[in-house]
Amino acid sequence: MKLLKGAALIGLAFSLAGCIDDKKDKTVDRGFDSKHLSELKAGIWIDPNGCDHWIIDDGVEGYLSQRLDKYGKPVCSGAAPPNTAIGPFKSGSPVADPI
Amino acid sequence: MGKRLKNAVRTASAGATAAIIGLSSISAVHAGGHTKGKGAGENYTPTVWIDPDGCEHWVMDDGWEGYMTPHVTRQGIPVCHRGNTCAVMNSDQLFATNSHRLNHAGHQALMNFFRSAGATSYIIAGHTDSRASDEYNMRLSLNRANSVASVAQQAGVRIADVRGYGERMPRASNGTHHGMAQNRRVEIICIR
Repeated sequence: MKLLKGAALIGLAFSLAGCIDDKKDKTVDRGFDSKHLSELKAGIWIDPNGCDHWIIDDGVEGYLSQRLDKYGKPVCSGAAPPNTAIGPFKSGSPVADPI
Repeated sequence: MGKRLKNAVRTASAGATAAIIGLSSISAVHAGGHTKGKGAGENYTPTVWIDPDGCEHWVMDDGWEGYMTPHVTRQGIPVCHRGNTCAVMNSDQLFATNSHRLNHAGHQALMNFFRSAGATSYIIAGHTDSRASDEYNMRLSLNRANSVASVAQQAGVRIADVRGYGERMPRASNGTHHGMAQNRRVEIICIR
């Protein structure tokens, strides 16, 4: 068990170090949970005005982008109260998130 | 006279060149060692992520941080592969000309729709054809959208927004009778 944890830590250190250089391809997530970015799984974060944003917690990276309707206006669905998040936004990566 | 003008132009263009050189040296300082030539920024080519509504977002991962922003046209309209429009009601079947009072059959049809659609909430947007003034059409389309929203309220569903776009968002040409009929509509967007 201890050995496994150690290995995981070394792995983490390596992959984090790997991120420091100039990463050429911005369209993939690499390291231990590498994948193409089109595979991200989103939830919904409701801002203080009650409007929806797609929220993705991909282990190390986090993404947030506005939910817009076909006319380009914010979608304020009322699905949950302001300042809350709902849905499977932490499920896209096997990396445990301490926060 | 002509010479003076030429000189003025020359002075102005020299000023502009100086300004451009000034700008590029600022960006070179800002981009640190990554500058690949005059005015060239660091390569940040995004890929596309499609949200559960079917709309595109630009997404990038530069190693540490992730970035994302909606893909919209220069007019601010999102680029989507499918819409969330779940009903387009023909205004002619709901209202008399120039009226925003729902007829009985229309009221009934809307009631059935809102009771069975099962969305989290609804955006209701009214539209007209291009006859009459823009101002009149803006008002008529909003009044009609509000009439539809009142049925939604009676049905007990959540309304996210009610809007009138008048004649400004046509879906067909206003040059033909058929096109105009298609433009007289109330769109209902279902948010899931």
